[in-house]
Amino acid sequence: MKSLKTLVIAAALSLGAVGAAQAQAPVAAPVEAPVANPAPVAAPTVVTETPEAAAPAGDATYVPLKPEAGVGQPVDAGIDFQPQVSPIGEQAIWFNNVMLLPIITFISLLVLGLLLWVIVRYRAKANPVPSKTTHNTLIEIIWTGVPVLILAAIAVPSIKLLAAQYEPPSKEALTIKVTGYQWYWGYAYPDQGIGEYVSKMLPEDQAKANGEPYQLAVDNRMVVPVGRQVKLIVTGADVIHSFAVPAFWTKMDAVPGRANETTFTANKVGVYYGQCSELCGVDHGYMPIAVEVLPVDKWEAWVRSKGGNPSGEVAATAATPAAAPATEAAPEAAPAAAPAATI
Amino acid sequence: MTDIAATAPAHGHDHAHDDHDTPGFFVRWFMSTNHKDIGTLYLIFAIIAGIVGGVLSGMMRLELAEPGIQYLTGWAQMFDPAAGDVQGKHFWNVMITAHGLIMVFFMVMPAMIGGFGNWFVPLMIGAPDMAFPRMNNISFWLTAVAFIMLVGSMFVPGGSGLGAGTGWTVYAPLSTSGSAGPAVDMAIFSLHLAGAASILGAINFITTIFNMRAPGMTLHKMPLFVWSVLVTAFLLLLALPVLAAAITMLLTDRNFGTTFYDATGGGDPVLYQHLFWFFGHPEVYIMILPGFGIVSQVISTFSRKPVFGYLGMAYAMVAIGVVGFIVWAHHMFTVGMSVNLKMYFTAATMVIAVPTGIKIFSWIATMWGGSLTFKTPMVWSLGFIFMFTVGGVTGVVLANGGVDTNLHDTYYVVAHFHYVLSLGAVFSLFAGFYYWFPKMSGRMYNEFLGQLHFWIFFIGVNILFFPQHFLGQQGMPRRYPDYPDAYAFWHLISSYGYVIMGVGVLIFFANILWSLVAGKKAADNPWGEGATTLEWTLSSPPPFHQFNELPRIA
Amino acid sequence: MINRLSPNTKTASLAALLAASMVGLGFAAVPLYDLFCRVTGFGGTTQRYDPVAAAAEPQVLSTTISVRFDSNVSPGLPWKFYPEHPRDTVAIGARDMAIFIAENQSARPVVGTASFNVTPTQAGKYFTKIQCFCFTEQRLEPGQQMRMPVLFFVDPKILDDPDARDVQEITLSYTFHPVDEGKKAS
Repeated sequence: MKSLKTLVIAAALSLGAVGAAQAQAPVAAPVEAPVANPAPVAAPTVVTETPEAAAPAGDATYVPLKPEAGVGQPVDAGIDFQPQVSPIGEQAIWFNNVMLLPIITFISLLVLGLLLWVIVRYRAKANPVPSKTTHNTLIEIIWTGVPVLILAAIAVPSIKLLAAQYEPPSKEALTIKVTGYQWYWGYAYPDQGIGEYVSKMLPEDQAKANGEPYQLAVDNRMVVPVGRQVKLIVTGADVIHSFAVPAFWTKMDAVPGRANETTFTANKVGVYYGQCSELCGVDHGYMPIAVEVLPVDKWEAWVRSKGGNPSGEVAATAATPAAAPATEAAPEAAPAAAPAATI
Repeated sequence: MTDIAATAPAHGHDHAHDDHDTPGFFVRWFMSTNHKDIGTLYLIFAIIAGIVGGVLSGMMRLELAEPGIQYLTGWAQMFDPAAGDVQGKHFWNVMITAHGLIMVFFMVMPAMIGGFGNWFVPLMIGAPDMAFPRMNNISFWLTAVAFIMLVGSMFVPGGSGLGAGTGWTVYAPLSTSGSAGPAVDMAIFSLHLAGAASILGAINFITTIFNMRAPGMTLHKMPLFVWSVLVTAFLLLLALPVLAAAITMLLTDRNFGTTFYDATGGGDPVLYQHLFWFFGHPEVYIMILPGFGIVSQVISTFSRKPVFGYLGMAYAMVAIGVVGFIVWAHHMFTVGMSVNLKMYFTAATMVIAVPTGIKIFSWIATMWGGSLTFKTPMVWSLGFIFMFTVGGVTGVVLANGGVDTNLHDTYYVVAHFHYVLSLGAVFSLFAGFYYWFPKMSGRMYNEFLGQLHFWIFFIGVNILFFPQHFLGQQGMPRRYPDYPDAYAFWHLISSYGYVIMGVGVLIFFANILWSLVAGKKAADNPWGEGATTLEWTLSSPPPFHQFNELPRIA
Repeated sequence: MINRLSPNTKTASLAALLAASMVGLGFAAVPLYDLFCRVTGFGGTTQRYDPVAAAAEPQVLSTTISVRFDSNVSPGLPWKFYPEHPRDTVAIGARDMAIFIAENQSARPVVGTASFNVTPTQAGKYFTKIQCFCFTEQRLEPGQQMRMPVLFFVDPKILDDPDARDVQEITLSYTFHPVDEGKKAS
């Protein structure tokens, strides 16, 4: 374990310079991932792979992915949401960009326009004698009724979005336990037999050497397979933290003494960063989150490198005989089934 | 600022109405029972608190101007020579906490309710004074002591460093098991005192408005500013006791081993959030409703037209107040709540946009057909309407629980509430200040400086806060002393905006000082026929005791 | 008496009464919130089986549901605490027993107590515990290991609730906390 990690870091360090150059030209060489069973994974998604990540390892060992500039992290002087790679994120950003943003822009400009109009038209010079109108039932009904209609129009997709966010995760979802600590994150994969490991922020020099953004880069990432739904069980160990990944449209408070559940499905290989989003003390600003989305075979290699069993289900027991076939049914089917459901 | 205090009595003596001897300096200003004097004290107090809160935000913008920690440790060392990195970062949390609490409890509320409310509610309803003048005095001094305690809490141990670093929301368990030392206790106690002061003030306003209106001044003839204070007083009365209960339980959790918010003993930290926001959301309207009232008076005055849809305006405020009590959980959308609850709070929150829209459109309709002059108070009110609209529509975005998942606790939220408060409530405060300055001081302010103040402040705050929408959409979380390099550009722009805004504030102070010393003497009614409320029938400044004979309202 | 008060005193007294009752409501929120959570399963609060009140044993259905067991130990409690199996598949309505194992890793006896909830939260109303170690405080001697059972069933009514019937897996989460002599449940 430890020697592998050292090896990986060493590899990453030696590739750092290349990685930095790569970051400058983001989509330089998108290659189709040379995976063992490409059909279920690669079909619906564009798998962008940096060449150096693919080079040394093939699909047998895990090599941390390099982040791609502009994906999964903020960009210089950026003004928009981060590009979304989950179905919920796409739905939410559609709702914002197609409905909310035009509506609020229109309302703001309407108010501004009306203000400018009265300023020009009814200035004392242009209109020396004020009218005495103080009522107009029709217009009052209109400016009560029209906002109600607009809000009702907003409410429909808003409620739909909420319903989609709360859709119960499928049986095939990958469960990850997330625990917020002062001031780092702990991740565990109960079904894969990966006990909790700690994810801390990388110091500036190491982050730069890795070609990763400082204050977002971590030592041990959360690693998930592309296209498969992930269910997070989130809790806090000491005070309230909040697990957030903007590119997945995911945020869930980590409350001590209780578990919260949320899901996401990442449909694009890459590294996605987030930051703790609930004030949790001195180092609140220094416990970032990094989620690495890998092709299934690479993810399995990562699980094995952690001493886990990628197929999962190892420890599950069947309480009633009737249920046995349902859960024991080939877990391999999981990644294959997921992409079909996501796009 | 004490110049207001120095000049006001001097002019007061000019007037024949002044049939009582004004008391000596100490009795007048420290044992004051006169609503106008207490109002003046509140305004001076709010300006001082605003300077403290504003300097804190300036320090924060300075630190955030570029990535990395440049100043925090040094600032922490000013109070604790042994301070290191940890104490520096703790000081950051202390600054965000103090800035929030000071601006909410010791700047906006005292200025709106204590300052303008005390000054003008009795004048506008034709009352000689408030119902309980001594209680009024107690309210003010409780607020002052509370402020001193809050500032004092920054200099006593609070866990990782000096001061309470819990955020203004004081969430458990960070505020209980997460913050050792007396600082948080002091901050909580300060909130108790400020809350008690506000509850006493609310009782006073309700009694005054219900019982002491001049003959003929029915509820439906009251100026909208009085309506706004009445609704605000009820919100205070219903919301603040819940905060008092919530933070009392925080205190006992901290000090007496109870576990109201501690899962260890069967409590729930989320309960604190529910209680806090049951207070916290009405609190937002407590800060903005009197501003609505001020803007209504100003718009009507400078349009030379009565307010359009008066009853709709009054009851829209009542509706905002009522609905404000059933939307609180939209502040805690990510805490882990069921989908039905989230749908309910999404829908309920959006409902508030309707009465708010009525107000915006009614203000415009008031101006429609009017004869508008653009004196400084009017310019601030116009700015208020536009900026409050911008802050309001981002509120509609955030109301959507599904969208809030991404934006919750990011700079988008910071931008939103600064647009409604720093560009909303503060604009209305400036509108009110310029509108009533001649009445309060007996001097005209400098029109040129007033206009200059507006434009520089307006440009500054927009440069300061608009880019924060971008930062929030990009994912920048709030309450961070430092950030990845990608956020640097907009943070720097934002900090430049602060500097411009600061210049605007300096012009404001220059204007006050210049006007108090060299301002033209103000007429009883400097605004002409548009100013129809009772305060303009009195001299400027009004006599120490007014309405010895009650006015009759036709 | 009340007639002799001035109108101002009357109004102010009523207002003060209103404020005082809101303080009362603030404190009353603690038991009310607790009650609300238990009745509605709010926040994933589980139900407790009452053999007297229960009209009949729930019907056992052929539909199954997965139940995941999650364990946490709060800092300051020197215990190891984990479920024997991370998950179980049960027939809806059928009783099932899960075992959690706790081990005191310190050299002194330690008393612990557990808080718990289920996710997704809408399943709380239907997750019924018949017997649980979490109802009482647990004392472990130094080095002692204890197997702690929880007996539960998933109420068949879950299939009638449009919000909860699609739930595929319920996670039952426990957090063990040290019992501090000064801190008793309030």
